[in-house]
Amino acid sequence: MTNSLLFGIATFVYFFAMVIYVSYLAFRSEALGKVASLSLLCGVVVETAAIGMRWYESYYMGIGRAPLTNLYESLVFFAWTIAVIYLVLEKKFKIRTVGAFVAPFPFLIMAYASLNPNDIQPLVPALKSNWLISHVVSCFIGYAAFAVSFGVSILYFFKVWHEMRSTKSAGFFWNSLPSSSALDEIGYKTIAIGFPLLTIGIVTGAFWANVAWGAYWSWDPKETWSLIVWLIYAAYLHARITRGWRGKRAAILSIIGFAATMFCYLGVNLILSGLHSYGGAS
Amino acid sequence: MSDAERLKTAKTDGNDWVSKIWGFLTSLKLVIILLLILSALSIAGTVIEQNKSLQEYYRIYQPGTVALCSNLGLFDMYHSWWFVACLSLLALNITACTIDRYRGIMAGMRKKDLILNEKLSKSLQNITTIRYALPLDVVENKMLERVGKGFSGKPVVTTAEDGIRHYFFEKGKFSRLAFFMTHLSILIIFLGAIAGSFFGYKGYVNIFEGEAVSQLETRTEKIQHLNFLVKCNTFHAEFYPSGAPMDYRSDLSIVQNGKEVLRKTIRVNDPLTFEGVTFYQSSYGALPDQVAIEVVNRDGLVKESVTTPFGKKVSISGVADTLEAVDYQEHFPLPDGTDGGQAISVNIYPAKGNPVGAWLLVDHSEYDQQRGGSYYFRVKDLKIKKYTGLQVNRDPGEILVWLGSILLIAGIMIAFFLSHKKLWISLRTDQKGKSELNIGGMANKNRDTFAREMEHIIQSLKEVS
Repeated sequence: MTNSLLFGIATFVYFFAMVIYVSYLAFRSEALGKVASLSLLCGVVVETAAIGMRWYESYYMGIGRAPLTNLYESLVFFAWTIAVIYLVLEKKFKIRTVGAFVAPFPFLIMAYASLNPNDIQPLVPALKSNWLISHVVSCFIGYAAFAVSFGVSILYFFKVWHEMRSTKSAGFFWNSLPSSSALDEIGYKTIAIGFPLLTIGIVTGAFWANVAWGAYWSWDPKETWSLIVWLIYAAYLHARITRGWRGKRAAILSIIGFAATMFCYLGVNLILSGLHSYGGAS
Repeated sequence: MSDAERLKTAKTDGNDWVSKIWGFLTSLKLVIILLLILSALSIAGTVIEQNKSLQEYYRIYQPGTVALCSNLGLFDMYHSWWFVACLSLLALNITACTIDRYRGIMAGMRKKDLILNEKLSKSLQNITTIRYALPLDVVENKMLERVGKGFSGKPVVTTAEDGIRHYFFEKGKFSRLAFFMTHLSILIIFLGAIAGSFFGYKGYVNIFEGEAVSQLETRTEKIQHLNFLVKCNTFHAEFYPSGAPMDYRSDLSIVQNGKEVLRKTIRVNDPLTFEGVTFYQSSYGALPDQVAIEVVNRDGLVKESVTTPFGKKVSISGVADTLEAVDYQEHFPLPDGTDGGQAISVNIYPAKGNPVGAWLLVDHSEYDQQRGGSYYFRVKDLKIKKYTGLQVNRDPGEILVWLGSILLIAGIMIAFFLSHKKLWISLRTDQKGKSELNIGGMANKNRDTFAREMEHIIQSLKEVS
């Protein structure tokens, strides 16, 4: 299948982008930085083509459905959204050095995806819905934004730890990173993108569940975990906006939030049982 | 202590007490602790599987654990008193915070401080002064043209006593209402959920092809009557070559006063709604209707044949036994583990002695020979009735839930991406006869974005010539 080949190429390009981003961090050559951004963009373009191809091929097979319905497809889409969101933020906030910490995600996720079966299966009746695309896309953009915020929060801790240890002998490497307060701000801004999208994802999911199963909320593990993620980020936002929680405490909440996000995405399917059956042994 | 004094103390004590509670209800600590407690409790609810039968719990846990969890409501924890209490406290907290913030938000929307005076200048961070060699009128016109674009409506113009003209621009005033939108939306969703649980019901009903029902059993095991009949005309299940389900569909009719008023083929994701009651395709199945059984002699000759509905004893002429078809299996497991296909279970009541049970297999007609005796039974014909399983839902609170959801999303978007921006400009002629323009601005949120916006405005004003 052409889509598999394209996904393979995209994985390879993401690997290349990751290497260049790390080299950029080490050598700080502007030209290298441009190559890094360009290669990640190239990976996104190839993967976009791969997703489009997979969609097209499903029609060719007489199945005809959006490629967003099983673990493999959700993983590759997750990798795609992380790369896209990171590129947007890089352009907006001029944070190319952060790339070394974010670019590995698309590659690793694609590599993990390739271990899962990737044949195009027809849809079961419950998934045949117009709500599929809006629900999945909004959830995953939300997840990806939280992933970027997580990467930035981790980096924040490195940076703070370093700033505390030595102010004078600041090394080449550490100086090349954005300041801790800038990282703090970017961490917040990405959550401010992710939170509305997660909200839209939960609401569209509730609406869909109501049409498919006759209940907009049934405390299914997936639903419950998405609510948990929502509550954690809601706590983060309240603490930050009304009480000015910044820095460490905000970064810790962001990390906890992302851990919950990952459990909501993968843990629920692999460990708990429920209605979202795209992952795990089922 | 005089009575008056005592009264006074009591009163201040009372006020103190009330303000303490109010302080607690509106505190950020309460919000954050509640959000985190609700998360933690919800996690527990996903680890302990909810609403299973007691037998299943006994299989997983020790009897003591089952009793304890059952008493604490851990097996239906999202409806337990303590979970509902947390949600109620959250609702109370949201209400209190909304009341608490009401005045401040309304005050923030009022037009005040229309003049860029000294006091205001101190609270604004960057006041920029630009001087022009142009007459004041020209500067005013160009300023209005350039600044007006980014702000809604005309500015409020005030001429102060000393001849200085003041201009007040603003934009996104109503974004301050996002607070009410996000917080009241949660209360509206709660209200919708409560309305649904008090005035609605969820139930389940099986309808055989060609048959109709006018009542169903709800989840709380009550009988719910409908004002109409629901008839299942046909049911179809289709499968992919791999065996995975492709489509389930039921052709339903709504019959009222003997007339068909609505007909629709429902599928998963495409239910039917009539008079506020919605029917969802949920499951399906089949039950036997009628079976024709032959009595066969050892020599292979058919001795007799009989046709009987399920669950009814029937006597066979020339045979001492009475027969009753009692059970049905679509896939009967043969002793060697393979699928024996359709099978019915019969009870055989001999003239003397105890009744015996036997399985008769449609595709393995000699299966009953193993019972021994001078004759055996076999299935000549089996009529199966298909049924469709419908989830039935009436929820008058649903509309509130969607209203709240839309309000929540809109509110969050506004809260994050819009802000109330204010801009002050003053114009005067300075001592040297030049036109002097002072500009300052403020935004209630996203201040760095606003600072960039201000830079652009100032730059374009500097270019006025």
